[in-house]
Amino acid sequence: MIEFQQVSKLFPNDETGQIVQALQDITLSVEENEFVCVLGPSGCGKSTLLNLVAGFERPTSGRVLFDGRTVRQAGPDRGVVFQESALLPWLTVEQNVDFGLHNLGYDRDERKERVQRFVSLVGLSDFRRARPHQLSGGMKQRVQIARVLALSPRALLMDEPFGALDAQTRDHLQDELLHIWEIERKTALFVTHNVEEAVYLADRVVVLAPAPDGIAADVPISMRRPRGRFSDDMREATMALLRVLANLPCCVLPSSRDRGTEVLSLQEGG
Amino acid sequence: MERSVSTSPGKADFGPPSHRPSPPTTGAAAPVLYVARRRISLSGALVTLASIVIPLALWWGVAVLVTQMRGVPFPTPLDTFHRLLALARGRLLVDFTIYRHLGDSLRRWGIGFSLATSLGIISGLLLGWSRLLERLSMPTVTVLQLIPGLAWVPVAILLLGIGERSTVFMIAVTSFAPIVINTTAGVKGVNELLVRAAKMLGADGRTLFLRVLLPGSLPHLLSGLRVGFANGWRVLVAGEMVVGTGTGLGYSIIQSRWTLDYAGSFVCIAIICMIGLIVERGLLLPLERRTVDRWGLARTT
Repeated sequence: MIEFQQVSKLFPNDETGQIVQALQDITLSVEENEFVCVLGPSGCGKSTLLNLVAGFERPTSGRVLFDGRTVRQAGPDRGVVFQESALLPWLTVEQNVDFGLHNLGYDRDERKERVQRFVSLVGLSDFRRARPHQLSGGMKQRVQIARVLALSPRALLMDEPFGALDAQTRDHLQDELLHIWEIERKTALFVTHNVEEAVYLADRVVVLAPAPDGIAADVPISMRRPRGRFSDDMREATMALLRVLANLPCCVLPSSRDRGTEVLSLQEGG
Repeated sequence: MERSVSTSPGKADFGPPSHRPSPPTTGAAAPVLYVARRRISLSGALVTLASIVIPLALWWGVAVLVTQMRGVPFPTPLDTFHRLLALARGRLLVDFTIYRHLGDSLRRWGIGFSLATSLGIISGLLLGWSRLLERLSMPTVTVLQLIPGLAWVPVAILLLGIGERSTVFMIAVTSFAPIVINTTAGVKGVNELLVRAAKMLGADGRTLFLRVLLPGSLPHLLSGLRVGFANGWRVLVAGEMVVGTGTGLGYSIIQSRWTLDYAGSFVCIAIICMIGLIVERGLLLPLERRTVDRWGLARTT
């Protein structure tokens, strides 16, 4: 469904004139209806990976395929949920969900029906006339989910969607996301730096190391859902991934590549 | 004015997954999310009153002093008011009624400002969107803004001759630059994430401009309109004085000195101030409240 074929991505840094390598030689494929979490330290290119599938960026070399075709631009078949609220502040909850439907030329009745269905799917019917600034962080993320689901995307691309939320809200939204995902089966690519989150959600966790290392581990998580957050299996899988991550270099800056001298703090927020 | 947000929507995020978040215990069918309260206090009213009375008192003081010291009849607020009443009853000022002058000035300003606004917003959207266009044209626009209004007189006369059209041209050209500059800044300030999101949601170019970039740049755009309006209104007076339109508030101000009707020109100045205030308070501020404030965006002025 989603395929990266030897993908590299370089970014020129406008200020220093240096070229930063975000991804090098990544080959990865995500199957239809699979829930894959991309896990890795901050700055290792996770978001870039997602932006490439979304069509916001082009690879410097290699190919990114979606459903067998090279990705050229962003489109409603790949619904993106951003970390920060990317809702249009001047539109109400309903209007935000309707925005895409209107663009895609759905007729009036179908738009109305879909807006209602998806706003209530994420539990925001009572807030349908509210504007984004009147909503909490968690509610904004629900609206983001609703507005992409309303367009029946083939894949959901999520870039640390719950990263800025408090722990309680995050757990709750994870459950809701899984619940929705069970109903509306979709391919899901979910970027996070939170190990527990990855283990709790994914069918498969891909650990991304900073370039030039690339994919450090590709671990299937076969536990049945619903998973117990505090079960032994969960703890075991989490520990295994933490061990992989602890061996990765920290990668916030291109210069800090002294491997192994620093142990990554995995619980850092946002 | 005080505002308060009456709910704490964060509460709705807790609870079992299947549970729909209900509005906090207001009990009403629709949740009240936003309550704007207007509190009229005595001290506030006094301050407002003082803000009007103090300048008037200063004017009066100056008028009395100047009249005594220099022996010229500097109109007091009362003189001006009497003259205003006389003019309002249809007395002529420089051959025409005050209504004719006012109407002509408003028409010229209206045409000039509408031209500047429509062209300015369109150019601003384009310049904010295209880095190349911005680099090509922004130096010119910046220079345009630095040219004092009156400096356009020879240009206007050469281009359009003496009269109505020259005044309109001067209004348009002086209002244009700040509107373009601010709209451009506004578009560039629109969060890149919103543009990405809109494209992901299938927005075409038109939708992107009208439903994302235009509303997104509105806080800046409104401050551009403010400056543009003030520039245009100021140059209207200057334009009428110099380009020789034969009517208008600015024309009357300069002409009434020949008849020593200083109170008459003061009336015109007062009307110009009042109209400025009305446009600002009656048009731009409500527009800002209904859009920028309601959307929770930050104002730029």
